[in-house]
Amino acid sequence: MYKLIFAIITLGVGLWANSVVTSLLIIVIMSWYTVRKGGIPLTIFIRLMMLPMAFLVIGVLIIGINVSEDINIFLAYIPVFGTHIGVSLSGLQHGIIIFFKSLAAVSCLYFLALNTPMVDILNTLARLKIPKLFIELMGLIYRFIFVLLETVDTMFTAQKSRMGYASFSSGYRSLAALAATLFVRSYKRAGDLYTALEARGYEEEINVLAEPFETGKTQYTGPIFINILLVLITLLFKT
Amino acid sequence: MDGNVIKARNLHYTYADGTQALKGVNIDIKKGKTTSILGGNGAGKSTLFLTFNGIHKPSSGEILYNGKPLEYTRDGLKELRSKVGIVFQDPDNQLFSASVYQDISFGPMNMKLPKDEVRRRVDLAMERTGVAHLKNKPTHCLSHGQKKRVALAGVLVMKPEVLVLDEPTAGLDPMGVSEIMVLLRDVQEELGLTIVIATHDIDLVPLYCDYVYVMDQGSILLGGTPKEIFSRPEMLRDVHLRLPRVGHLMEILKENDDFEFEETAVTISQARRELKKWRDMVTQSLR
Repeated sequence: MYKLIFAIITLGVGLWANSVVTSLLIIVIMSWYTVRKGGIPLTIFIRLMMLPMAFLVIGVLIIGINVSEDINIFLAYIPVFGTHIGVSLSGLQHGIIIFFKSLAAVSCLYFLALNTPMVDILNTLARLKIPKLFIELMGLIYRFIFVLLETVDTMFTAQKSRMGYASFSSGYRSLAALAATLFVRSYKRAGDLYTALEARGYEEEINVLAEPFETGKTQYTGPIFINILLVLITLLFKT
Repeated sequence: MDGNVIKARNLHYTYADGTQALKGVNIDIKKGKTTSILGGNGAGKSTLFLTFNGIHKPSSGEILYNGKPLEYTRDGLKELRSKVGIVFQDPDNQLFSASVYQDISFGPMNMKLPKDEVRRRVDLAMERTGVAHLKNKPTHCLSHGQKKRVALAGVLVMKPEVLVLDEPTAGLDPMGVSEIMVLLRDVQEELGLTIVIATHDIDLVPLYCDYVYVMDQGSILLGGTPKEIFSRPEMLRDVHLRLPRVGHLMEILKENDDFEFEETAVTISQARRELKKWRDMVTQSLR
């Protein structure tokens, strides 16, 4: 519960602050929590942080580049058909802020995703009175992602070991067959799951016992303290 | 009451696509005993099981539970399903929750038991099946054997009177097979459960089962104690089954190598006894 709140509040502060310093701080804090407290190896965390990098770099470049007839705003430019395309100072600043803001947001989400078991998130959502249907669906989807992946993996290996992907065209055919079979299997599995649930007394609603929560006020003080600090720092740098 | 907890009379069941899965099945399940249903793939075992707890309603024929015909009303089915628990063959089809604990709590929560009682039962069921240490693990991290145990716990927790297991040993290593069978026997002794097992692991049958039914193409061919069934090997072979390995060896020794046995032995201990008897007989006649 407190993890979810921590992640969301920090995310909110990061988005509101709109400053490179705050974003950097958030990245450092979240990384520290994830790597140190969560026990995620640093190399893996860095690799995960690199994932959105490609999108970010392209996105930021586009923001950083402006079109204008006035050449004075540009740091560097090229003339094109009577107007000019170039990088302006404000565009560049804007781009950098967005770049770090996005990374800070990503680090918040990674903190949540890497440190919290899905079951806990679902429990928390249930306590926040999110409609039951959503939670049931989320739970089932989460559970069966793994079953689906396992099935895909087995079928893919089986196809590969029979030269299914030896050439481009056979690869296409194999992939089509894989997708089709997967669909049919999933459909059948859904039926089997329903039967199994029914056998245990399923009646339109999945009722399970939520594990008891241990909640202490101290759990919330840390996150709140950190966020107040973040807000203060932001205000300090703005003035 | 004649000691049969489930009785099926002339059961027929046809699937929506026209497949006739059951063609006049008669079967008696003795209370407190272990009954196995032997049959090749597609013999109709799983379909039969699903009629036991009212998931499939037979197209004709009737099922008696404790002498009373099944009631296909909402309450009747609910009652029935808390008494007849099915453990399915593929645990991935049964375990719907990412949390082991929550999955096991599903059955008793549906029975509308108070939460404390549910918690107590879940803990007990996990202890019985030896999965207590997996409580906080996500379901997808479990091994196949562990998933099977969790699936079993998810049914045991409802305290059924009849435990129906579809291929409980399929896909387990030899150690896992004997562990789960011993576990079942212990639970049976402790709770006085009636157990019904579908299997084609024939070697298990003489070791753990009191009664056997042989099923083929939607009907029951033979029924009786393991001894009775295994004294008719030719029938078994007709339906793509066989004797237990030990029984086969004893059969060959008897028919081809002039050994003389009084009884057909189908387990290692029975065979040992027969072979010793034979040895004593030979040494005596040599003197």
